[in-house]
Amino acid sequence: MTAPTRDPRDDALSSPSSTGTDSVSDEGEWLDADNQDGEDEDAVAIISLVDDRVFGDALSMIAYCKESHGLDFLAIRDRLGLDFHGSVKLINFIRQRVHEGAALPAQIELKDLEDDRYLKPVLDDDALILCLDDLPEPAAAGAGAKEGEEDGGVPPPKVDVLLQKNAELQAQLEQLAKQFNNYRLAVQTTLDQRWEATDGPAAGGDAKSAAAGEVKKAATVEAPKEKADDSAYYFESYAHNDIHEVMLKDAVRTDAYRDFIYQNKHLFAGKVVLDIGCGTGILSMFCARAGAKQVIAVDNSNIIDKARENIFHNGLGSVITTVKGKIEEVVLPVQQVDIIVSEWMGYCLLYEAMLPSVIWARDRYLAPQGLLVPSHASIWMAPVADQEYVADHINFWRDVYGFDMKPMMTGIYTDARPTVLPASSVCGSSKGGAFRFLDLHTTTVEDLVFDAPWASTLNEGVDAADVDGFLVWFDCFFAQSRDDKTVLPTSTALEWASQKKDDGLVAFTTGPFSTETHWRQGLLLVDEKNKKKQAKAVAGGAAAVVVEGGEKKPQQISGRIQFITSEGHARGVDIKVTWGLDGSDPKLDQTWLLH
Amino acid sequence: MSGDKMDIETAEQRLKALEHSEQHYFNSYNHHGIHEEMLKDEVRTRSYMNAIVQNKHLFKDKIVLDVGCGTGILSMFAVKAGAKHVIGVDMSTIIFKAREIAEVNGLSDKITFIQGKMEEIEMPFPKVDIIISEWMGYFLLYESMLDTVLYARDKYLNKDGLIFPDKATIFVAGIEDGDYKEEKIGFWDNVYGFDYSPLKETALSEPLVDTVDLKAVVTDPTPVLTLDLYKCTTADLAFSCPFDLTARRDDFIHALVAWFDIEFTACHKPIRFSTGPHTKYTHWKQTVFYLKDMLTVQQGEKVECSLHNRPNEKNKRDLDIKVQYRLETQDPTRTAEGTCLYKMC
Repeated sequence: MTAPTRDPRDDALSSPSSTGTDSVSDEGEWLDADNQDGEDEDAVAIISLVDDRVFGDALSMIAYCKESHGLDFLAIRDRLGLDFHGSVKLINFIRQRVHEGAALPAQIELKDLEDDRYLKPVLDDDALILCLDDLPEPAAAGAGAKEGEEDGGVPPPKVDVLLQKNAELQAQLEQLAKQFNNYRLAVQTTLDQRWEATDGPAAGGDAKSAAAGEVKKAATVEAPKEKADDSAYYFESYAHNDIHEVMLKDAVRTDAYRDFIYQNKHLFAGKVVLDIGCGTGILSMFCARAGAKQVIAVDNSNIIDKARENIFHNGLGSVITTVKGKIEEVVLPVQQVDIIVSEWMGYCLLYEAMLPSVIWARDRYLAPQGLLVPSHASIWMAPVADQEYVADHINFWRDVYGFDMKPMMTGIYTDARPTVLPASSVCGSSKGGAFRFLDLHTTTVEDLVFDAPWASTLNEGVDAADVDGFLVWFDCFFAQSRDDKTVLPTSTALEWASQKKDDGLVAFTTGPFSTETHWRQGLLLVDEKNKKKQAKAVAGGAAAVVVEGGEKKPQQISGRIQFITSEGHARGVDIKVTWGLDGSDPKLDQTWLLH
Repeated sequence: MSGDKMDIETAEQRLKALEHSEQHYFNSYNHHGIHEEMLKDEVRTRSYMNAIVQNKHLFKDKIVLDVGCGTGILSMFAVKAGAKHVIGVDMSTIIFKAREIAEVNGLSDKITFIQGKMEEIEMPFPKVDIIISEWMGYFLLYESMLDTVLYARDKYLNKDGLIFPDKATIFVAGIEDGDYKEEKIGFWDNVYGFDYSPLKETALSEPLVDTVDLKAVVTDPTPVLTLDLYKCTTADLAFSCPFDLTARRDDFIHALVAWFDIEFTACHKPIRFSTGPHTKYTHWKQTVFYLKDMLTVQQGEKVECSLHNRPNEKNKRDLDIKVQYRLETQDPTRTAEGTCLYKMC
């Protein structure tokens, strides 16, 4: 909890503007400071030595580094008596260290800069290097002893110029110090508010913070579990390239976000957007290109370092601010956002449990008329029969090169398996609609744990005894307004999106009847005991094969499905299905774990 | 036998002491996928089966050590081949499954499974007659257990003992891989209209494990490392090898591909298998090292190369690999030279 207060790096200072209207009255003033500084149109963009902040001139940047991080570039340069090349090396040395996330030495020495590789710019077209000559000369401070001695005296006109520069610097420093104090105050206030909302039993005044308090309480109950389920590992798992390559190359997923954002630029133009779990920054950059005024990209994984680089490389650093940390813990540079965009979906929609964080952020930051992208999600289930799959993955273990490896089957009937099955293995309808439908603008954390009815009519010729399991998938909808009433529990993504095709309506499915996605589907295999019961029920007449004029009547399966928070796996889900044949009381039940 | 002191109770205690994520691994079917993949790798499993089961004269009444036994399949082959007793050792909790599997197959009294590090466990026999192990990783050496096998050899193998397999060779060839290089590396130049070059550098420095079509191979393959498991030491795992690649046809070279062959020379009729692009698929696939440049070669021309491999100083399981290449031609526009650094991690 202390990290945000101690770390003033969070990008509030440089944010070009804020829509926030809150208790800190002078917030707008100091947030706009940078814009006021950049009077010239052709102002250079100098990237900070210590983070990705951008400054209009080198001196402000240097002052900022000194003030906020105690890194006094000029003092180091003068202490080491660096010439132009030495200064270039110093810059690249610092940038390289920061880039690698390594700490700088307590005192940078000449030997640190020996390596000629530091002559190579770490940043392409580093504006700081280009304007090195404009920086105040060492003699000004009187500390450049070496040069001072050699030169003997310093010509008076130079002193004047330097004194003037010095005065300017002083003024800038003062201003920055003031900004920083204001910033601190803002952080303090924000945190106080949040703690009130969290701890106090409905101590907060307005409805919003009370709501946030409720949600937070629910989250607090979860907290100890989250510790057990090492969540560091969870974030760490997103730090590598591969997983992001898989997600970016999942065109169903990435196209959907791109199409929605680019085809609805009017929704994004001039807006403040929050991207939760930004990964490589792709969604943030879509929003920036679509005209968003400001995008705040938050991720707790180290991949955010790459996001920062990507954003910079694409010239979007002035629009997108990256913030590393958990959304519940970081301090955002704004009090309110117009749009929250997030790709939070996990296996069977709710695995990974990232949605509660999005809901928390919605209640905390989203403007009353704000939009969530995506806006709706629904979860579906259909029965499957797939002898080939059963032979490959179940029967396989009964004879492995002549050995019985049954013990390896542990979990095969109790784990929900992320698997892609062909459409042909689906053996019954899901026409009854989604068993769970979430309007994300109003969904609460409590809605994510549920018990819902479910039914399916088996395909012609399929016998209930043939059912090998159930397949779970989800659809995702991107409505253009939070008041949208056209997305219904019976809407499938494909039908809904095609109704007004060229009108920026976007939805996608992860189901078996469409292109496969990296989410695959969730396969729930019926265990042997229940397979026998199914066969018995059919034989015993519960689903008696009815002959009507020689035609077999399709059989029905119906029952309920529950999503339950997994014991000991805070990011997991337990799925319990109870089912029966042809409308009889559900007699069969089985639980699968998704973790 | 000290191995049998690992009764259920001790086993459970050990399980409880495991890291949470490891317990999770043990209890979850989804995380056993790698063992399913390995067992279903017929080239691998069948080669081991033939090498062991067809050589009953070598295994009869012998004490056998299975290093990194996994699900215990090789241990069970050894019992089938007549071994007097087999010790299966594995650090992973999969060994608890191995024990159950041996039980189901009525082989419990013939196999002792010990969970732990080879370097730390207490062996029920002072010496063994045969070491069997499937220790190979991607590019043969990545995350391989070879150092553990060599440790076991030096500490436990009888003077005239046998090792299955006992010979491994890494080969390298040049490949034309324009389309795929574009898909894997070029992808980062334009991700939905954005420049993702920070991720491109990472992609270039990570060798790619994937299957390569035989038609893509442009040069003759050349061996760069041969390991004789009776003689080699862990020092041999850091190696440098200069070699030439001779172009078989006029084509381009975008990358080098590496694979390995494995031999069981102790067998009555030597058994070997290859993981190269010219033969059946294995779960090891091949390893592709993309070059910065594209080389334009004519039939018969030689590309002078060298490959340097060493375990990373900080993390021994990671590999630092350096490839140098030089193409000298009459036509100066095709002359190329370069050095690429890779990290398998």
